[in-house]
Amino acid sequence: QDKFTLRLAETWGPNFPIFGDTTKRFAETVNKMSDGRLTVRIDSANKHKAPLGVFDMVKAGQYDMGHSASYYWKGKVPETLFFTSMPFGMNAMEQYAWFYHGGGMELMQEVYGPHNMLSFPGGNTGVQMGGWFRKEIKSLDDLKGLKMRIPGFAGEVFAEVGVNPTNIAPGELYTALERNTIDAVEWVGPALDLRLGFQQIADYYYTGWHEPATELQFLINKRVWDRLPADLQEIMRVAMRTASYDMLVHSQHANAEAWANIKQEYPNVQIKRFPDDIFQAMYEANKKLLKEAASESEMAAKIIDSQQNYLEQSRAYSDISERAYLNTMAEVE
Amino acid sequence: MRWIIRLDECLAWLSRLCGWIACLAMILMAANVFYDVVARYAFNDVSIALQEMEWHLYSVVFLLGIPYALRTDGHVRVDVFYTNWSQKRKAWTNLIGAILFVIPFAYLIANYGYSYAVDAYQMGEGSGDPGGLPHRWVIKSVIPVSAFFMGTAGLNMVTYAIRVLAGDRQYEGEHSAGGLA
Amino acid sequence: MIGMIMFGVALVMLMFGFPVAFTFGGVALFFGIYAEGMDLFAFMPFRIMSVMQNTVLMAVPLFIFMGVVLQRTRLAEQLLTSMGRLFGGLPGGLAISTILVGALLAASTGVVGASVVAMGLISLPVMLAHKYDKRLATGTICASGTLGQIVPPSIILIILGDVLGLPVGDLFKAAVMPGVVLIGLYILYILILTRFKPETAPAMPADDSISRGKEIRDALLTIIPPLALIVVVLGSIFTGIATPTESSALGGVGAVVLALIYRQFSFKMVWGAAKDTVSVTAMVFAILIGATAFSMVFSYTGGDYLLEEWLMMLPGEQWGFIILAMLVILILGFFIDFVEISFIIVPILAPVAEAMGINMLWFAILIAMNLQTSFLTPPFGFSLFYLKGVAPPDVRTTDIYKGILPFILIQILVLALIVIFPEWFGMSATY
Ligand code: NA
Ligand code: NA
Repeated sequence: QDKFTLRLAETWGPNFPIFGDTTKRFAETVNKMSDGRLTVRIDSANKHKAPLGVFDMVKAGQYDMGHSASYYWKGKVPETLFFTSMPFGMNAMEQYAWFYHGGGMELMQEVYGPHNMLSFPGGNTGVQMGGWFRKEIKSLDDLKGLKMRIPGFAGEVFAEVGVNPTNIAPGELYTALERNTIDAVEWVGPALDLRLGFQQIADYYYTGWHEPATELQFLINKRVWDRLPADLQEIMRVAMRTASYDMLVHSQHANAEAWANIKQEYPNVQIKRFPDDIFQAMYEANKKLLKEAASESEMAAKIIDSQQNYLEQSRAYSDISERAYLNTMAEVE
Repeated sequence: MRWIIRLDECLAWLSRLCGWIACLAMILMAANVFYDVVARYAFNDVSIALQEMEWHLYSVVFLLGIPYALRTDGHVRVDVFYTNWSQKRKAWTNLIGAILFVIPFAYLIANYGYSYAVDAYQMGEGSGDPGGLPHRWVIKSVIPVSAFFMGTAGLNMVTYAIRVLAGDRQYEGEHSAGGLA
Repeated sequence: MIGMIMFGVALVMLMFGFPVAFTFGGVALFFGIYAEGMDLFAFMPFRIMSVMQNTVLMAVPLFIFMGVVLQRTRLAEQLLTSMGRLFGGLPGGLAISTILVGALLAASTGVVGASVVAMGLISLPVMLAHKYDKRLATGTICASGTLGQIVPPSIILIILGDVLGLPVGDLFKAAVMPGVVLIGLYILYILILTRFKPETAPAMPADDSISRGKEIRDALLTIIPPLALIVVVLGSIFTGIATPTESSALGGVGAVVLALIYRQFSFKMVWGAAKDTVSVTAMVFAILIGATAFSMVFSYTGGDYLLEEWLMMLPGEQWGFIILAMLVILILGFFIDFVEISFIIVPILAPVAEAMGINMLWFAILIAMNLQTSFLTPPFGFSLFYLKGVAPPDVRTTDIYKGILPFILIQILVLALIVIFPEWFGMSATY
């Protein structure tokens, strides 16, 4: 039987926790399930030196597959934005349901197809935290002119309510926040934020709204995929799906552990939620921006429509199940 | 020989043109970064487009600077032996080096850099950040453009070496130290 | 194995004296095409793009620009001369001022290329004019210009924080003491050397026409404006008005303003400074591009896996491990750049160190100090190339190689001190 080796380029550096563990698990699963017929060789960013070149490299066939996040390609293909996570959008469980049962997967292939690629869900961080702030945000006025590192669509929403989104190299983030070059920084969640040390210099840790279910992605060059025999394709599918599930639960585990650490060692850190008027303003801004995006592209309109309809239906059930349970628990304790 | 001299001077002019553009980009970049800092405090204004313009200009500085520095011999050499060599020997080193190393290296970067830029053009790639600069192909095409001029500067090393071999020119006067004060 | 052979070939080729950047690139090209085919080089535009978008490296041209303007306005010269005066007729005064100015630059940026080049442009001509030994002068500049990697803020520390999962702020704090000790030992070395060999660093001739008091007053006056500029740069970083990159622009514009105040300003001067800056920047980045092609071929032909295999054979005990790890990094530092080491070697060493209960913060500082040394070790030390690029032609590479040796020994001494007496530096070897 033929043996295959797939070269995978990931956006992350070597040993980047949680994200990098996902590709390692995937490669291991594929190798074991195929009894060594299919090997995945992972190249981290230190090797290919192009963390944000994964899209182009997989498209051109320089790599067979990639592990990254869909919203990084927004500048190239605007519709890729919608397959990671949207402000005020679905949570991880709802979004996975949309991908696998609600038509999300088909829409994703429609977007990536013209670029000769397939895209699959690649692991979820769960709700991302809203960011570290050095001063408490009490009203909309406190946001005006606030300099914050917040990329992408969420940055645009923040900009609508007066924040100045700022580009800062990740290596400079800690120093920039410490010295007030910026006033706030959004990263991921406790486990990864802890590594950068923000808890030492910012007291206010805000709860999330902007990336309620950040989904990574496996990208595969279509010609490479078509060359694989059907059984190996199925092994890949299963391995990608379990690796994604693993990442979601790994995130939950690592974040819970890191949060316990922060609470114990940094009593200065307080959890905050933006005041209601800010949420209202951002919610309106988000709606407006989505409307703009929908008017610019038919495909975008189709995806937004699908996501909103699905969210509505799915949330109604979440409300009487997950939310009801968590509320009950909160009252009982 | 006459057309070699003419070609040599044409190629040198190309490298100087690159240098001229790079110098302009250098001054604009210093002003751009300075303005962005001042604007942040004076007007409490952060423009992502201007922030991106910083690295666009910075890329032009070093990418177009490389061919310029090839012409002015501004690139570092390990000169343990080189300094003591005769003009002829230096000329042969530069001639062979340019043909074997510079021109093929420039060709490969130009070739792949070209498809890289064309790809960005066809996708209509722009910045992924709110308010960022559109038309990524413009800055990406600086890569093949720089490589093209690296190639002409490599060819220029060859023509200059031929002039040195013919006794028409010397290497000393061209040393980087002159251009660097 | 191809990667190892390529190293050897590159080393030999460099001796022909063809520009370093293109020797790296050219050798990589032949080996790359031979081993992997031409399409391997389709990765080059991506790698170049990564350099283009690296806003931290943007500080390189900006700090060079600041250095060149300072030099053209002769203010830096006056600063160094005045600082030399402040040390009175002390032999070695210029070298000590260079170290102090280097330390100040180090505290404002982590970019070695910019510091070495700026110092090379500013203080090398002054030292040579005052009959300093070429080796001492170049060694002092390379060593003090490289301080930027251990004195925070520093790119090495930021990368290590990322690779080892340590808070960058903690790393910055931990690196302060080792940096200070290093600077102190450099100065001590100059003092001892000039005591026994005063001819290598002659004292500035005393000017009898003015009184000592006036000399000190004059010196202080000339020191104030350039020092104010450095304070603007450092201050803007420490108070958070600007990132290191932005502060370099503040410094550049500040230098132009000083030129205006001192009536040295002309558009010709600014254009000339831009021209010099472009040349030097191009030299630095050409090496970066050549080296990235080189390391690309090295890793895509399996050189990184081979290295990993070799490192797995390290013996197991804590001290044996530390000494061997430091030796490996030191030796690799002769050949490959610190980013490669940080990203390829350190992740292999880290889990071993962690399993042994070694304090990772301490381990990180050891690595940083060690990597800083790699900037100075011949034949591939980047600082040496950078300085050679701006030195006058009569300063030969061999002068720089010989001049840097004592400073490398001092660095290794400090490294050994941190290994043996971590508590002196406010750290502990284990948790
Ligand atoms: Na995030
Ligand atoms: Na530094």
